[in-house]
Amino acid sequence: MRDLQVSFSQTQRVRFQSALQQLKDLSPGSGPAATVVVADSIPVNLEDSVLKGHGTAESDGQLVATVCGVVERVNKLVYVRPFRARYKPEIGDIIVGRVIEVAPKRWRLEINFSQDAVLMLSSMNLPDGIQRRRTAVDELNMRSIFEEDDVICAEVRGFQHDGSLQLQARSQKYGKLERGQLLTVPPYLVKRRKQHFHHLEDDGVDLIVGCNGYIWVGEHLETGENVMLEDQDNHMEKDGKSNLKLKGDQDEEGTFTSVETRRSICRIANAIRLLSALGFTLSLEAIIDTVELSFASNISVKDMLAAEFYVQTAEREVERRVSKLRKKA
Amino acid sequence: MVGLSSGEKHFIRGGIAQDLRSDGRQRLNYRPVSVEVGVIPQANGSARVRLGATDVIASIKAELGRPDPLRPDKGKVSIFVDCSPTAEPKFEGRGGEDLSTELSVALQRCLLGGKSGAGAGIDLSSLMIAEGKICWDLYIDALVVSSDGNLLDALAAAIKVGLSNTGIPKVTVDLGTAPDDQPEVDVSDEEFLQFDTSGVPLIVTVTKVGRHYIVDATSEEESQMSTAVSVSVNKRGHICGMTKRGGAGLDSSVILDMISVAKHVSEHLLSVLDSEIAVAEAAAMS
Repeated sequence: MRDLQVSFSQTQRVRFQSALQQLKDLSPGSGPAATVVVADSIPVNLEDSVLKGHGTAESDGQLVATVCGVVERVNKLVYVRPFRARYKPEIGDIIVGRVIEVAPKRWRLEINFSQDAVLMLSSMNLPDGIQRRRTAVDELNMRSIFEEDDVICAEVRGFQHDGSLQLQARSQKYGKLERGQLLTVPPYLVKRRKQHFHHLEDDGVDLIVGCNGYIWVGEHLETGENVMLEDQDNHMEKDGKSNLKLKGDQDEEGTFTSVETRRSICRIANAIRLLSALGFTLSLEAIIDTVELSFASNISVKDMLAAEFYVQTAEREVERRVSKLRKKA
Repeated sequence: MVGLSSGEKHFIRGGIAQDLRSDGRQRLNYRPVSVEVGVIPQANGSARVRLGATDVIASIKAELGRPDPLRPDKGKVSIFVDCSPTAEPKFEGRGGEDLSTELSVALQRCLLGGKSGAGAGIDLSSLMIAEGKICWDLYIDALVVSSDGNLLDALAAAIKVGLSNTGIPKVTVDLGTAPDDQPEVDVSDEEFLQFDTSGVPLIVTVTKVGRHYIVDATSEEESQMSTAVSVSVNKRGHICGMTKRGGAGLDSSVILDMISVAKHVSEHLLSVLDSEIAVAEAAAMS
């Protein structure tokens, strides 16, 4: 276990360690998908021609692993899929990224991958929603869609022949994310699922779990409303710029997210921070469960990152896995 | 650090205005502090302090030296801060130098008092061995390992914890007969004197965002600040030093208000830090 930045008291430490030990005992041992650490030998029949893939090497007539991970076999190819690795995009992944450059006909995005991704102007729906050729005027107005530093979500379209990564945003659900916060977690904690957009209706919160380990937690906006709102804002800015300045901060506070919604956002964000610090997989169920646990134990938002709740969450995870195993049996 | 979109900036400012910041803290809450002592075995004292994702290490080394002729009854203390490129890519090469100097100067001002050594948080006369001849030189070196805002507070806390972890060897001096003789010194390997840190102040940085003040700002919040006032406060609640950053001017009443906020917060921070030191020392012993 990586060292956590929490100071436990004596009893908390004991409880935490016993919870971790239980989790270790519960984890399935050497199943069909054998896990290996560095220098473990991988059982293969070397007489068949074996293709040595990533994370393997031959030593003294044996195939050994050079990284920690799961042994994967595809026909003749044997490779090790590492546990902790940088995000590797696959076609169709939903990702959250940040615009770092507005270039001719494209935006360049930072997505936690070894290279930057490209979103072409032609591979996204225009705000007016009409399908048409992109004109030079559209190109000039690109900054009205996304600016530098904007957080947006999109889908991985695929790799181009030159090796660059292309994104697309051909739906209303993709686009600019505002009124919320971006969290960064290790990408291996996010598993690819059917649904990455979650609207938590009770809280009025949108949760977008990007496959690249960027997670957006923000105020819910109806699809399509986003664009309208933006237009209004733009008009407001043009008309009322001088007014706004005069009214000052007092007025600005009125446009903020409501306190209840903000509290939900912070609670969910802290649940995600906690789970990722503990190294638990970030599924929607786990996040909601942690949030509910914090309500049940009457823990305030800021105390969610204190030692006691770390222990409770770890114990809760044990319970969850035990009940899962029972259901199976 | 990457930039923030206007939506995120707005969200952060809104959180501060509504007294509920992005990680659920209120305006005057610190992040959880974690303390480790004795992290550098070859130093006389060392400490590592973590405030959220901010991570700093302070090491204290004592060497025998000659006191300043102008101040024969006082020892010497120097403070240096270094920003590691692991904290931020822009610290690579000479990139971190500006920030390092700024932090060193602020710490020197807050801990060492004026040029004459008056009003120093660290008791310089306790470093004296033989007046005018031998004294201890304390070299305080701090390293920023990871930076997520509020470096100055973390550094000051690390120095305070490091000093409380410092053992200065006991020295017996054999003063020569002639007044000009260099005295003979015998440094003990076994007996150490604990350094008195009750007077060493802590620094509380009050950051102004919009119309409100916050303490312990993360780097995201720091990007939204207009001004920040760092106040160093000792155990008795006395102000030992002050520095101000940021371009915007402040009304004098606002500064007074910020100082009283800092003083109020420092009481809590001191008690938290004291208990953390006790826990860390116990952990280091076992």
